[in-house]
Amino acid sequence: MKNLIPENYAVRFIFFLLSFVALYYFLKGLAFAINDNYILTILTYMAINTILALGLNLITGITGQLNLGHAAFMSIGAYTGALLTMKMNMPFGISILAAGIMAALIGVLIGYPILRLTGDYFAITTLGFAEIVRVLFNGMEFTNGAIGISGIPRHTNFSIAWSIAVLVIILMVWLNNSRNGRSYMAIRDNEIAAESMGINTSLFKIQSFAVGSFMGGVGGALLAHQISFIKPDMFGFMKSIELLMMVVMGGLGSIPGTILGASLLTMAPEALRVFADYKYLIYGSLLVVMMIFRPNGILGGVNLRQLLDFSVKKKNIERKNLSN
Amino acid sequence: MKSKKIVMMMLALVLVLATVLTGCGSSNTSSTSGDVIKIGFLGAKTGGHAIFGLGTLTGMKMAVEEVNAAGGILGKQIEIVEEDHGSKQEEMATITQKFVERDKVVAIVGDPTTGGTKTAAPIAQDNKVVLISAGSTGPGVVEIGEYIFRDTLLDSVAAPATMDYVVNEKGWKNVALITSINNDYSVGLSGIFKQATLDKGGKIVIEENIQDGDTDFSAIVTKIKGTNPDVIVFSGYYTEAGLIMKEVRRQGMNDIVMVGGDGLQGEDFYKLGEEAVIGSISYAGFSPEQPTAVTEAFIKKFQEKNDNAMPDLFSAQGYDAVMLIVEAMKKANSVDPVEFHKTLAETSNYEGVSGNITFQANREPLKSPVYLLTVKDAGGKLDFGLLKKVPVK
Repeated sequence: MKNLIPENYAVRFIFFLLSFVALYYFLKGLAFAINDNYILTILTYMAINTILALGLNLITGITGQLNLGHAAFMSIGAYTGALLTMKMNMPFGISILAAGIMAALIGVLIGYPILRLTGDYFAITTLGFAEIVRVLFNGMEFTNGAIGISGIPRHTNFSIAWSIAVLVIILMVWLNNSRNGRSYMAIRDNEIAAESMGINTSLFKIQSFAVGSFMGGVGGALLAHQISFIKPDMFGFMKSIELLMMVVMGGLGSIPGTILGASLLTMAPEALRVFADYKYLIYGSLLVVMMIFRPNGILGGVNLRQLLDFSVKKKNIERKNLSN
Repeated sequence: MKSKKIVMMMLALVLVLATVLTGCGSSNTSSTSGDVIKIGFLGAKTGGHAIFGLGTLTGMKMAVEEVNAAGGILGKQIEIVEEDHGSKQEEMATITQKFVERDKVVAIVGDPTTGGTKTAAPIAQDNKVVLISAGSTGPGVVEIGEYIFRDTLLDSVAAPATMDYVVNEKGWKNVALITSINNDYSVGLSGIFKQATLDKGGKIVIEENIQDGDTDFSAIVTKIKGTNPDVIVFSGYYTEAGLIMKEVRRQGMNDIVMVGGDGLQGEDFYKLGEEAVIGSISYAGFSPEQPTAVTEAFIKKFQEKNDNAMPDLFSAQGYDAVMLIVEAMKKANSVDPVEFHKTLAETSNYEGVSGNITFQANREPLKSPVYLLTVKDAGGKLDFGLLKKVPVK
């Protein structure tokens, strides 16, 4: 890797930017090659859910704070993004960024008092917060109440969604391996021990909560610009649980696991369409079976580096066996 | 070692993509054979709104059977492609995308709810596929584009007709208006009821908000009792409606009835409200009582197929939606939505089983007559029965 990424920060930044642009055009080409809007729509939702689930994974999986209200941050992002695009004619990029920042700001505001709580108490508070947000969106005039906002320009597409998703994945891996990421994990594993080691637990908890909420906001804004219609009911308790399910099924705390969980659960309803009326029955049973045989999730406790190391090692072993 | 890792990573990515793409690709069963026309059914077969979806589907199936038995349309048979979205917004969008892309449907019937229609309609419009919603009544639906239609009695037509009866014929001028604030249908309908009340010379004496899922209404009923209204107008659904009326009687307001939209027409209204809901007034674009010849034939056929069950509004409208599409295709002499969406928009005075249907210049349906319904006690079994037929100009 070292010879691939230059030392100088400015050069590094330009290098990063260029590879991002290259990625965007690669995905655009891929979308053109796939040329099937049904598949592209599913893949787009996969990217959006990946972003949302990774945000939740940071809060719940890596920092260990059970968050039952992630959909609230999603809705804040969705409404912020939609209103900025529609009422203020903001460019799409700025709307998304603003949606993320808005969600993060509210995440900090709400996180400051409630992150002093731990365990179940924290979970219940996030649940309550999500309900408050939903009721507010239902009651407020400029969000059009329960009728919702329709006619949002459909800016989100496969290439944009996956470009942002890849960016989020990179950010998450990087954060996970940083000093901050280690602190998050220390808090998850034992908060008292972490504190006695000199980790400012409330600061790091709020930090992780803010970054996770940011991802929630970005994902929400992308979703709003994909569906083109949002209403408060879309971001209810069930949505939060659905996101939590992606993280838990994929593997709490594992980034590749979360991506896999988000992708699988997005695909499942479509893949199970062959079963027609029995779809949700089979969907439910699969989840139960999953949790019995892999209670830690499919890739529970596995991170990206381990995954790669494992495959390389396995390859080497195979090669040795072959040469023997 | 490092470069190997990168190669491995790329390989893994390609592998995952390949599996995903082939996995999705293998389900491609769309037949491009020219002798079948596909119509998509978009609705919930499971979950909270299943009753709307299933009703629509039953009606659609009847219509398709009839058309196919009579030799199909322009020599082609019709086939319904049905998918269940379980009231999930994202699935509505993907299903619509699937209908358009995979099944190559020429028209979609659904979704019965306004929100669902708003999610699906932009996709249908972009892909030039006709979409008829057999149930949505809220604002901002047909404005999405010239391929979007609905065949329901609009609240903006029915509510004024109802309030005219309530305020002028019954003389109940003081109205208490209750809205379910987290229900888009209720919020929209309350605005219409309010306007209609004022237009017809009535007065809103109190406006109260509740939420879907609330169960204790004693506080707001006490408040309402204090303002001494002649009638309670509630724009929400049957569950809350039944509970509200129960509470109204418990607090001793024995002569007041409830007026509401078609949201009241669910079994829970009588089950929860019991004798408290007798006399409550609602409206519909469809009633099996005093039927026209067309409607009578439909009811007979429906009962033969469904163990003597009475058809409901959604099955009648689902039936009409398919028939409207078929009529338009015949008139356009084409099964291409680019052609027949124009003749569909010209539909005028079509005698449907759910009433007389005309599409106005803005594609909003004008349905006549409006059926005013009231809850009657038929030998211990409560049900909505016909109160009055009000023709609409």
